[in-house]
Amino acid sequence: MELTKNITLGIYLPGETFVHRLDPRTKIIASVILIVLLLFIRSYEAYGIFLIFTAAVIFISGIPPGFALCGLKPMLPVLVLMWIFQLFLYRTPGSDVIFSWWIFSATDTGLHMGNLITLRVLFLFTVTTILTLTTSMVSLTDGLENLLKPLRKIGLPSQELVMTMVIALRFVLILAEELDKIVKAQMARGVAFDRGNFLQKTKKIFPVFLPLFINAFKRAEELIIAMESRSYTGGKGRTKMKTLHLGRVDLAAGLLIFLFSALIVFIIVSIQPQI
Amino acid sequence: MILNPFIETTDLSFSYRTGSSNAVRALKKVNMQVKLGELLAITGQNGSGKSTLARHFNGLLTAREGKVLVDGLSAADKENTAAIRRLVGMVFQNPDNQLVSSIVEEDIAFGPENLGLPPAEIRERVDWALDTLNISNLRRESPNQLSEGQKQLVAIAGVLAMKPRCIVLDEPTAHLDPRGRREVIENVLCLNRIEGITIVLLTHFMSEVVNCDRMIVMDKGEVKMEGAPCDVFRQGEKILNLGLDFPVAARLSAGLRRKGFPLPDHIIHIEELIDSLCQLK
Repeated sequence: MELTKNITLGIYLPGETFVHRLDPRTKIIASVILIVLLLFIRSYEAYGIFLIFTAAVIFISGIPPGFALCGLKPMLPVLVLMWIFQLFLYRTPGSDVIFSWWIFSATDTGLHMGNLITLRVLFLFTVTTILTLTTSMVSLTDGLENLLKPLRKIGLPSQELVMTMVIALRFVLILAEELDKIVKAQMARGVAFDRGNFLQKTKKIFPVFLPLFINAFKRAEELIIAMESRSYTGGKGRTKMKTLHLGRVDLAAGLLIFLFSALIVFIIVSIQPQI
Repeated sequence: MILNPFIETTDLSFSYRTGSSNAVRALKKVNMQVKLGELLAITGQNGSGKSTLARHFNGLLTAREGKVLVDGLSAADKENTAAIRRLVGMVFQNPDNQLVSSIVEEDIAFGPENLGLPPAEIRERVDWALDTLNISNLRRESPNQLSEGQKQLVAIAGVLAMKPRCIVLDEPTAHLDPRGRREVIENVLCLNRIEGITIVLLTHFMSEVVNCDRMIVMDKGEVKMEGAPCDVFRQGEKILNLGLDFPVAARLSAGLRRKGFPLPDHIIHIEELIDSLCQLK
């Protein structure tokens, strides 16, 4: 069990492209806009334009196209299953049966719905992947902290939440290493993790996680003491070393996203069939 | 030059789990001083109360019995806590559990950011701390990629960037390999000698104690011995009874004295021993 090697949280591909140089806030907002648009798209025409757009972004950002899609592999069975469910179960009055077998029958609206939902999930995934591939975790959290700041006024402890994320990011690897150590220590004392049926294997997991949790709590306590003695008293009164700047690239990207959204909205409103 | 007390405790007592039947008295009427500009070692076996004492220095623990003054400020007063934490920084044993960020320079910026300093000054302090400890090359690294010794240097830099007058190090080398230990201790010595920062070093290693100006030996919550290392180690058996050991040079010269070599009894440094041996006819 080499856990630490397999953990690639937010695989980031460093680069100097147009997309990389954007302020993280611009990228986060743009992604949110794209995601919202996706939730309203119900026509193949709009998806076609969306495909051209994302393909262009992937090309500009220099991400190998295969790389952007390889993360999809584990999701494939779920996508296929979703498509099948929609195909056989979704129907509206007046839809035509295009195929039937035993007690199942597929309708044309079901086929349409299945396609739309599968495409939607595919594009949602691609948009978020582009974001995390071109933005490091640290600048993502910086951007998020900045964007969430106004929500402080309505009582959301945004800075503390982001601080928790920052710490979690750091400790994921440490805890993975620790898990690895505990597993090896137990293997050395004769526990065979790969033997036995499902139930037996599951039982062996508990003695692994118990020490992990206890250690995690101990670490948390030490970390709190260390943070406290470094004058941390919560987000209030804190400043940041790095300040974010919106530049010309962000203006260009903003305009681009605006035009694109206008186009998509136009299609949604005028061409798209209302279901 | 070393005169003014910077931290002073008077009759400081502290108990863990007060109120329950198995209360542990960790400190019993401790009177001690940390003088401005000195390099003070506090040693003692596990459970001797040295960590508990150190945690009173920057308000992590507050005195219930007795008094702690830091630069004239009473540590018992909650209003002074923020000011005291700016004056006294603290470095702990396990570097992994004190680093916050996944990027070295961002972690070092954490303290100054908490102080609410303007971004340009934070940047300047971070650069200065990295430079002072000679770890500028690590600034963009992730702490997870560093050796334990490097991680501890990052932790020290994080405290240094807050520009404290005094840094308390609670067994900073206990987790480190010999090389990491040497790196950390050399840097700590430089901070004291060159930057003039008052250092309190809690340690089990006598090789680290010999470099200090003064040492305090604690046992069962009390200060048992105090003085310059060469005077303390001269007192023979007593230090063994407190569960500690002699530095190598002192042990060796004591052995040689027993064999009849006329060596002085204040030797604690290897260099001193070599000098004395060379002067023998």
